[in-house]
Amino acid sequence: MRKLLKKEMKLAASPLSYIFIMFGLMAFLPGYPILVGSFFVCLGLFQSFQCAREANDITYTALLSVAKSDIVKAKYMFCIVIEFCYFVLTSIPVLIRMTLLSENAVYRNNALMNANLVYLGFVLLILGLFNLIFVGGFFKTAYKFAKPFIIFTVVVFLVVGIGETLFHIPVLSALNAFGFTHIVLQVIVFLTGVILFSVLTAISIRRSIKNFEKIDL
Amino acid sequence: MKTLCNVNNLSKSYPSFSLSDISFKLKTGTITGFIGRNGAGKTTTIKSILGLVHPDCGEINYFDLPFSENEREIKQRIGFSTGTVNYYPKKKIKNIVAITKTFYKNWDESTYQKNLKLFSLDENKMPCELSEGMKVKFNLLLALSHRAEILILDEPTSGLDPFSRDELLELFIELKNRGVAVLFSTHITSDIEKCANDIMYIRKGKLISDCTKDEFCEHYRKDGETLEETILRMEKEEKV
Repeated sequence: MRKLLKKEMKLAASPLSYIFIMFGLMAFLPGYPILVGSFFVCLGLFQSFQCAREANDITYTALLSVAKSDIVKAKYMFCIVIEFCYFVLTSIPVLIRMTLLSENAVYRNNALMNANLVYLGFVLLILGLFNLIFVGGFFKTAYKFAKPFIIFTVVVFLVVGIGETLFHIPVLSALNAFGFTHIVLQVIVFLTGVILFSVLTAISIRRSIKNFEKIDL
Repeated sequence: MKTLCNVNNLSKSYPSFSLSDISFKLKTGTITGFIGRNGAGKTTTIKSILGLVHPDCGEINYFDLPFSENEREIKQRIGFSTGTVNYYPKKKIKNIVAITKTFYKNWDESTYQKNLKLFSLDENKMPCELSEGMKVKFNLLLALSHRAEILILDEPTSGLDPFSRDELLELFIELKNRGVAVLFSTHITSDIEKCANDIMYIRKGKLISDCTKDEFCEHYRKDGETLEETILRMEKEEKV
């Protein structure tokens, strides 16, 4: 799998997949719907799928000494690596905003979603949805990706909308907690995000392997 | 001679074409020419035995192992090239090769360098800079460089100039003498006349003949006919 991951990174990937990881730093922006950064990293990954299709990457890989299921696993592995890098990067502003800048007036007066563990939970949900809807959708044909990406885009902006709205409901205002206040709630939402990411990705990998086996290249 | 590849009752249906009941064997030290007109089913057969196309039914065994359960191990021991597919058109050949060779335990650098020279390929070029014939050579270069025991090549001579074609056929004979089984599809009968021991002739998705070249000539050839004339006549008779 390590060799296939290297192949993904050196031959199939678009440079934009790496560059767009930087959108993780958007979590520093006050007055901006910071969850949109998660959409951008997915857009970067989408570019890699486009490059790979243009380069006949799937057929090339199928001819190497690998099983068909390995091709699917390698694509997911690549996505997960990029998503992990994004997650780590976006966690830095979150931690800084939760500690050093927790009392900062610019962030305190921010009308939009705060960067806290709840935000990270939502980030993981969006990345899991990308794996489920887009990557899973792509492997139904191993060729067509416009429809799965459009569906993913609609869903992701609904999730962003929900994330930006929920804490305005008085009983849910704790979701926008600053620093370590309501830390139990923050941790619960974060862990829910971890579980959702893992479950959505695992379901998607299983389905994609099954679908890809039936595809004629 | 040992059987290296055994295909039984391979079938695949598409809305407008079906491949039915294809069975054949590939043995050590033989060159099998797979002939048939465009659309007869050569590429579908080759793609099916390489796992690129999912057959409706049939058994595919290499080295007495079922292909579907031993894909990784089997692919280490076979080499294949599917025409002029343009992989990674904007990546340098040396970068593609650097990645490709990591997948093969038996990658033979000296054979690779020898064939690189033989095919006059420049490693610093990108596939998009190669002519169609050179792209075929690049695919062949990858297929020939890991000491494969079976070579499965889809139209390896199409697009090649007569000199390169001749060199390639000589190379097939050299590999055959080393015990390699070669299966190559073509619609150029002179390639078969020059180097094949066996002929597989496919028409409309059915294998009409699978025998040695001598048996084929004995059975189908009329007096004074060349192999090309025989096959042309067989195709015309079918149309009538």
